[in-house]
Amino acid sequence: MGLFNIKINGSSRSIDVDGDTPLLWVLRDNLGLTGTKFGCGIALCGACTVFVDDRPLRACSLPISALGESEVTTIEGVTGREAVAVQSAWVARDVPQCGYCQSGQVMSAIALLKEIRKPTDRDIDLALNGNLCRCATYVRIRAAIHDAARALGRLI
Amino acid sequence: MGRVPESALSRRLVLTGTAAGVASLLVPVTLVPSDARPSQEQTTYDITDWITIAATGEVTLGLSQPEVGQGSYTVLPQILADELDVEWQRVKVRFVTGKEAYKIAFKNEAPAQKEGASMSTTALYERLRTAGAAAREALTRAAAEKWGIAVAQCRTEKGFVINAAGDRLSYGEIAPAAANLPLSARPRLKDPNQLALIGKPTARLDSQAKSIGRAVFGIDVSVPGMLNAAIRMAPCFTGAVVEIRNEAEILKRPGVHAVVRIAAVAVANEEAGSQHPALTRPPRDNAVCVVADHFWQAKRAVEALDVVFDPGTGGDLSSAKIDALLQAALDGDAAVPVIEIGAPRQILRDKAASIIERRFVLPHIAHAPLEPVNATASYRDGAIEVWGSIQSVDACREAVATAVGCATDAVSVNVTFLGGSFGRKIVPDYVVQAVQASKAVGRPVKLIRTREEDTQHDVFRPNAGARIRAVLDEAGYPLAVHARVAGQSLFGATRKSWLDRTPEGSWDESMVDGIYNQSYRLPNFLVETVDTPLPIPVYFMRSVGSTAAVFFWESFISEFASRARIDQYVYRRNLLTADPLALRVLDAVAQASNWMTPSEPDLFRGIAYNCYIGRGGRFKTYVAEVVELAPVDDKLKVKRVFCAVDPGLAVNPNTLAAQIEGGIGFAMTTALHSRITFSNGGADQSNFFDYPLLSIDEMPEVVPIVLPSDRPPQGFGEVVLAPLAPAVAQAVLQATGRRLDVMPFPDAVFRT
Repeated sequence: MGLFNIKINGSSRSIDVDGDTPLLWVLRDNLGLTGTKFGCGIALCGACTVFVDDRPLRACSLPISALGESEVTTIEGVTGREAVAVQSAWVARDVPQCGYCQSGQVMSAIALLKEIRKPTDRDIDLALNGNLCRCATYVRIRAAIHDAARALGRLI
Repeated sequence: MGRVPESALSRRLVLTGTAAGVASLLVPVTLVPSDARPSQEQTTYDITDWITIAATGEVTLGLSQPEVGQGSYTVLPQILADELDVEWQRVKVRFVTGKEAYKIAFKNEAPAQKEGASMSTTALYERLRTAGAAAREALTRAAAEKWGIAVAQCRTEKGFVINAAGDRLSYGEIAPAAANLPLSARPRLKDPNQLALIGKPTARLDSQAKSIGRAVFGIDVSVPGMLNAAIRMAPCFTGAVVEIRNEAEILKRPGVHAVVRIAAVAVANEEAGSQHPALTRPPRDNAVCVVADHFWQAKRAVEALDVVFDPGTGGDLSSAKIDALLQAALDGDAAVPVIEIGAPRQILRDKAASIIERRFVLPHIAHAPLEPVNATASYRDGAIEVWGSIQSVDACREAVATAVGCATDAVSVNVTFLGGSFGRKIVPDYVVQAVQASKAVGRPVKLIRTREEDTQHDVFRPNAGARIRAVLDEAGYPLAVHARVAGQSLFGATRKSWLDRTPEGSWDESMVDGIYNQSYRLPNFLVETVDTPLPIPVYFMRSVGSTAAVFFWESFISEFASRARIDQYVYRRNLLTADPLALRVLDAVAQASNWMTPSEPDLFRGIAYNCYIGRGGRFKTYVAEVVELAPVDDKLKVKRVFCAVDPGLAVNPNTLAAQIEGGIGFAMTTALHSRITFSNGGADQSNFFDYPLLSIDEMPEVVPIVLPSDRPPQGFGEVVLAPLAPAVAQAVLQATGRRLDVMPFPDAVFRT
């Protein structure tokens, strides 16, 4: 066990865990931030997508000891105009079905729109093809990302 | 009907989450200010089994069918709210259990609270309308009595009763009186033109919570004093734990509380005697779990356990063996006749030289919900409480009670949102394992299966194979057809009481759904089944047998049309002239896709049809699909799918369209990717690298075409899956000349 100080959703937290504990399980078990989901454990499904220093990463495969001074943002703490645009579009389109993968989908979509203001379908494919949805809500995910991009375009 | 103020009843159904704002599964329809939100101590009144109204006027609608993604959390309350006449934006929804009103039956069986068979809306539509209307009538009567006027002088509007003078009483004000009035068993339902929600594309109530990470799934449950467990099951389905060689060492690891041997659970929660004998005997421990403070500690510890497993009697099970059994069954002498019309045997004998034969083989596949199975259990002094993603409340209670030897009443079940299920989470094996772990350590335990354990110990969709033979008449239409389907019988392995019995033996409807009860005109027709029992746990999976059977059948119809050189749509149309509802969906999809206009040279199309008949003949949903296949980069890709449906009344066209889109995607996964193989008595695949799911770049555009209908709501969650694969196969045949007779389709056929 070891003591780790991590920066999460704008505050600092101190946690006593084994250094090999993935960030995902620190979030879920130690911090009670259950919006980030466990799906595969080997970075294949994207359900655990969080931002580490504003870049999307799979929390299931990042040991807490490797986090260092980086800042973590989860679905519970994500803010900003891209987040508002994406989450509003998600609700307006009724994207979720079972909803389990959607935290990860939303985080990946926000990351995409921060990077590319007006993504093409191919951009969406490349950015989101690591986020699996067993309910296959992909039609609405794609439409909602385009909606969010349009909404952001209007804000500028 | 309940008459006790709800504050006097158990509040155990309200979940306690770990994070602030995840206090309960109650997700009010927000985006509305919370100024009307009552305090926890407010008094509420049960007007019916489904409807609770607070003195403040807040309406809570009971949901008895778990939300697995299909939209029951929205659609069923929508029916209640419409008849009750309340403001939709302000209703709350709460999962309810424990009353007779919540029980339904699919086929010949005792009613139970459960979800499955695409039956929720079909089975509950009238019941919920009646409950809503009875409550509205009681509220109106209570107001009329208060005013001292006739009921006829009162009307309702969005949560208020209003009289001729324009006086208004809110439902909250009259709820105490209404809760004490007898309910009418046959209240007057709204006229169709008065319906405000039913039939309207209504927004989901759970989208907000699911888009901001606040919906509570089973895996998110946290109860006071809870520990976490990881499990390792015998790799072989018939296996047993022989020895743990380093238990003492593992117990010294930080955070570890216990190493618990888990007794084998009857994985199919169905009738005794249905399971394969090798899976049930002898009683044994077939898993080990480690209980620790945190899941990661438990997972690492369970991986470090040095466990010796014995394979039991099924250690020689392999895919080669399974396939050999299947092929022998397809060619053997013994088969159970399901249906025999005309003189198919004689015609096929007489015209043996012109027989067309096709054979097909489909593997076992896994459900793979994105939330791996998990459950939280608390065993205390013989009383058991469980929480989690549970699709069948009553079956879960019974399985837990049987496993620990207590009364069913001693088991209470709290249902969360389900992170996918597709039939998997009807089987409560994982719940029983969590209960065993809790009992062993004397504290609540949350047990999570890793993806690997979830995949390898799924209750798989059975394999299936077919041999279909036919001769065509001079015009190229079927004269005589003999279809034989073989495989591991789902009903045989889970619920023998659902088998159809004949003097020649029993047959399993799910193996031939869409074949024996198909709609095409066939003058001479023989259908047979052969069960090949296997020691593999199997269970229902979305679309059940129809994905296999309709693939066989429609592929064979495609073969006929192609040999007869008749257009695939026209050919089907000519065989369906006696079935106007079938023609309607087929025509609609052909029209929407411009089928009769020749396609672009590099666009290849396929069309398929099925009437999905609900279990026990409870509903009929008509579906026709057109698939467009075109080269993208160096591969043929399914670019667009048109899907025409006649679902009866579409209670919520919004969630129905979502089921079309998602159903097509689900079927794409099955057609392109899903295969479980077996060796040494267990499953070979373990995670998404060898059991992949469809990703967004593979998802086609979907064009839903929902036909208006005067029929009541028919089942829908599973119905669009089956025609997809044969339509894709037909398009591939057109593009490449290659006939597809296995699923998943070999990747090579899509390379250009």
